[in-house]
Amino acid sequence: MKFLPLILKNAFRKKTRTLLTIGSIVLPLLVICLLGTFLRALDRPDPAVTRGMFRLVTRHKVSLANFLPHAYLDKIRKLPGVVAATELDWFGGKYGDGSAKTIFSRFAVEPEAFFQVFDDAVILSGSPADWYADRAGCIVGKNIADKFGWKTGDKIVLRGDIWPVTLELNVRAIYQIPDGNAASLHFNRKYLEEASPQFGSTLGMVWTKARDGKAATSLIDTIDGMFENSSYPTKTETEKAFQMSFMSLVGNVKLLVTSIGVIIVFVILLIAANTMAMAARERVTEIAVMRTLGFPKGTILGLILGESVLVAVFGGLFGIAVFTLIEPTIKRGLMTTPLGTFASGFSLYPGILLFAFLVAVGVGLVAGVVPAVRSAQRSIVDGLRQVG
Amino acid sequence: MSAETPLIRIDSLVKQYTRDTQVLTVLDNLSLTVDEGDFMALMGPSGSGKTTLLNLIAGIDGPTSGRIFVGENEVSAMSEGALAKWRSANVGFIFQLYNLVPVLTAFENVELPLLLTNMNRARRKKQAELALSVVNLLDRMDHYPRQLSGGQEQRVAIARAIATDPKLLVADEPTGDLDAKSGEEILVLMERLNSEFKKTIVMVTHDPKAASRAHRLVHLDKGVLKEDVHAERGKAVGMAAAISVSST
Repeated sequence: MKFLPLILKNAFRKKTRTLLTIGSIVLPLLVICLLGTFLRALDRPDPAVTRGMFRLVTRHKVSLANFLPHAYLDKIRKLPGVVAATELDWFGGKYGDGSAKTIFSRFAVEPEAFFQVFDDAVILSGSPADWYADRAGCIVGKNIADKFGWKTGDKIVLRGDIWPVTLELNVRAIYQIPDGNAASLHFNRKYLEEASPQFGSTLGMVWTKARDGKAATSLIDTIDGMFENSSYPTKTETEKAFQMSFMSLVGNVKLLVTSIGVIIVFVILLIAANTMAMAARERVTEIAVMRTLGFPKGTILGLILGESVLVAVFGGLFGIAVFTLIEPTIKRGLMTTPLGTFASGFSLYPGILLFAFLVAVGVGLVAGVVPAVRSAQRSIVDGLRQVG
Repeated sequence: MSAETPLIRIDSLVKQYTRDTQVLTVLDNLSLTVDEGDFMALMGPSGSGKTTLLNLIAGIDGPTSGRIFVGENEVSAMSEGALAKWRSANVGFIFQLYNLVPVLTAFENVELPLLLTNMNRARRKKQAELALSVVNLLDRMDHYPRQLSGGQEQRVAIARAIATDPKLLVADEPTGDLDAKSGEEILVLMERLNSEFKKTIVMVTHDPKAASRAHRLVHLDKGVLKEDVHAERGKAVGMAAAISVSST
């Protein structure tokens, strides 16, 4: 510990360079924390299941863009183990100026059946009864309600594209799904059916609430088996697997995220190693003088390595502190985007923060090893000769 | 004055450097003793081996052959680790360019070698302040090297050299980077360390005036001892000048 003041003074000998080095650790560390949190959110247990919600999603086997016959809904409802089932039909369309900022999920549903399947939804304002009573009514998730400043009684206009109709919807309730995403708008399918009659015989997805986990497992095979040889074969999966399938659209997300993380670590390693090499090169004579005074090689090695680790630790702690501060903001921001389902799993995971800190310490150690060993190994006479 | 007990004994010392295939003999079969309490000046032209001899005596370089004893220790046979430990307790270094650590205050620079001892913080503080008081810089202890003049920096370097109370001080051109007035102050200080604090001093210098403060002048040329003159103080000026003239 008696060498700590010396290490500190050496570490901040060139303040601008040290602060830039710390900055070069902080920023990538933020990305590592973010990526790690994202991966952890992907891997977290299905929050619906943890609340006893065993929901299944049935869609066309080929893709989400293919419709299923509307008659499938009743067939699924009649299967043993099914508590309730509702359709969720992607409406698409545009809201406002149609820019990227105005994109959110819009589904036509059967209102009563929707709340039977999503009976864990919490109504924050308005009521389901108001929605049931108003054919042009809709409910909106809290996240998008907050984003667009909607409240019950507001009117929302959606201009259709798949279905060429314009819907004028009244906000009748605002809901929240505990531990989940609430960034969708749901309206009565009958309203769309009246405006666009050809919509009536099709559906996009069927969401089924199973009695329990065992029923959910067997229903997956039962439902798909039932429609296997039809013109409209289905693919049934758990709610989480369905959500994960969106991520797989962009490839092996975990591999991608991990690869980005590794590259980032390698880049900070190069930056930190370069800084430490510079710092050690500038002090060749000084280190030779210290060895002349009797500082053993091991102590010199420890001082240089300590300096490198200290800078990295500052970077690590600062990076973690900044991430801790901005994580809620990032989460809020993502909750209103298509990544909202995963963003709901965002949290300050101690394991991720510890991992990020260890990455910083590891970078400091590895970056400092070569300059430290070289400094300790260089002959004292050669070092002193550089005096001039 | 010399206590006439050899503190340093050098037997048949050879130091060679190899550059590519060429072997360069810097010190050639040199034998020498330095008594405890002596103040010896090493003179000679550039490349004569003065600094190499100083480095070998101080244990920061190893001989090609021959033996070097300092006190009871055969420095030439010690391991690198043992030498580091020995240097920290027994040798004080004074460099031409002071070589203070720029990010440390005068006090912290003097405390630096004390960090290698088992002294606690209070003891280190006392010892460093004592060393700074010897060089009359206690009032500048919180100043950084950049806030000191060259002479003051060298005095801090001397305080650092004596902080662990070593028997032997080695100085490589201690006045080489100083103006005449500051150089004189340093030489007076070194004389005092020799006479009052009984430090054995080996000083490399090109300056006859600096050499004249020594009790003994050793003149090296091409790695061979050419002159070895013991002198009474006061007579040394002419002798150093004569050696300096003969070496040019």
